[in-house]
Amino acid sequence: MTFNPLEHRGIPLDRQVRNWSELDVEPVDADHSDPYTKCRIIAMNGIEIEALMFSHHFARTCPSMDVKRQLAEVRYIEQQQQKAVNWLLPGVSSALETTISYEQVAVDLTAWVARMEPDPYLKQAYEFGVLEDFDHLYRYSNLYEMIQHRKAERLVDELTEIIPGRPTKYHHRNPADNVREPYDRDTAEPISKLHALTIMATEQQTMNFYMNVGPEYMEPIARQLYQEIGLVEEEHVTHYESLVDPGETWWERLVNHEYNECYLYYSFMQTESDRRIKAIWELHLDMELEHLRLACELMREHDGREPEEVLAPELPEPVTFEPNKDYIRELLDTQIDLTTLGAGYVREAHERFERMQENIHGGEAPPSERVVDMHREQFGTDYRLSTEGEHPVERLRRQPAGQR
Amino acid sequence: MPVEDRPQHVEDVIELLLGQHMLIRELFVEVQSSTGEARSEAFARLVRLLAVHETAEEEVVHPLARRHIDGGEQVVEDRLREEREAKEVLARLEGMDHDSAEFESTFAKLRQSVLEHAHHEEVYEFRYLRGHYDAERLRKLATQVRAAEKAAPTHPHAGLESATGNLAAGPVVAMYDKAKDAMRGMSRSD
Repeated sequence: MTFNPLEHRGIPLDRQVRNWSELDVEPVDADHSDPYTKCRIIAMNGIEIEALMFSHHFARTCPSMDVKRQLAEVRYIEQQQQKAVNWLLPGVSSALETTISYEQVAVDLTAWVARMEPDPYLKQAYEFGVLEDFDHLYRYSNLYEMIQHRKAERLVDELTEIIPGRPTKYHHRNPADNVREPYDRDTAEPISKLHALTIMATEQQTMNFYMNVGPEYMEPIARQLYQEIGLVEEEHVTHYESLVDPGETWWERLVNHEYNECYLYYSFMQTESDRRIKAIWELHLDMELEHLRLACELMREHDGREPEEVLAPELPEPVTFEPNKDYIRELLDTQIDLTTLGAGYVREAHERFERMQENIHGGEAPPSERVVDMHREQFGTDYRLSTEGEHPVERLRRQPAGQR
Repeated sequence: MPVEDRPQHVEDVIELLLGQHMLIRELFVEVQSSTGEARSEAFARLVRLLAVHETAEEEVVHPLARRHIDGGEQVVEDRLREEREAKEVLARLEGMDHDSAEFESTFAKLRQSVLEHAHHEEVYEFRYLRGHYDAERLRKLATQVRAAEKAAPTHPHAGLESATGNLAAGPVVAMYDKAKDAMRGMSRSD
């Protein structure tokens, strides 16, 4: 089953504007819907937001009035797509519940991308990052039981384990060490470019979400935890965006963005369990095919190149949300101690890392540690959802109260 | 371990009521995902919990909100209307065959409105109360509500059989009345 988006015609642009009743989508059910349906909604929202912000940045550097107008037309539709997608989230869910779903996205999407990534340097970047989001899931889940009196397993439904990852306190690195080497646009596989764009977009939306919902909370520990993890998400955006070759032209980047949107809508259409939501993915794919065609025309005209030179001849295997428990456990077992130094990875806590740690923690326990300590005080132990046996790292196994 | 039997760790009245919101949410799911006797039994537990919970809010939380939140009068009026509507739907549900399509569609609508109601309370009432009342007062109110729940004949921790008996004997409205009597009895004795 192959699908080449360059060979399919979508909905003409002048027929893509939706009216209010079409935009007024019915949200999914907070307690009965597939957790991975919520993950697809959250991931797709991040992709749309990246698409439209990219278009804004492009327009700001673009001298051609005609191109600016075309960008504006497509961008308006992308705004409507973002509304139709993100408004599928249920209003009765709290921001913290949505946050836990964001971390489930970060774990299972990044793990899937890492598994599929052909380039070993890029694969390492995803493997490194996923252990950090995995730990964020654990910290927020402890907060959730404390302030909302509910267990996070009701949200992730045992598809994703909730146990400690690389401890969040060690995520605070010298910012210069978050910059990776980019792939080479001429030699990188097309799938590698799509992976980098996808994870950059979803981490960026996670950063945006935390920086805005964090202060909505009243509980001091909640406010503080959002600050801490919000800062780590900035590091992740730096980490992933630096994988993208800065030598790509604006036209090429526009085509890559549109192609990636086609890829993800197509993927989610193939894997969606909710028929109503699947129809939305299909509609949006039909819109994106036209956005891609328009972007390709711009590239031919302004870049003097054929889009086929930079794109894959057919869409890669559909991006799939599925459990990655064994894979994550293998990474926990082998990569928990890694940090970054320059554009690479090391095991020892080097001087620049230590200095940053001293500066930010100032000798105190950070919110990510205190949230677990507070949970232990209140419940006698930390919150975990462990379905596959003991933690692979001995020192991160659960310890009875009083032994810490 | 059923979520209702979890060791109690609630501190103040806000946490207590928030915890009950979560129990109510779980019970809605339990009713929807069961059938036959199991469904009727879960529904009975839901009715009991809603009766004591809503009564506690009416007697304890709403008066505080009315006095000390900007626009509190109107906020509370909106909540009371939602509560009244929910009580009426509960009473209708009680008379239906619990496995019928009519029950399921009415129950699904009730669930949506109760979840929205709880969300409104959390966002428009609960979050302001801690700013207006000191921790000691809110803890004391929690003790009061818990004691009233124990005194209420509809208490959710009562033995299952006798509780089901209660339900069969008394319609929803009577159950709310009993909860109110117990809650007011406690307030007076305080």
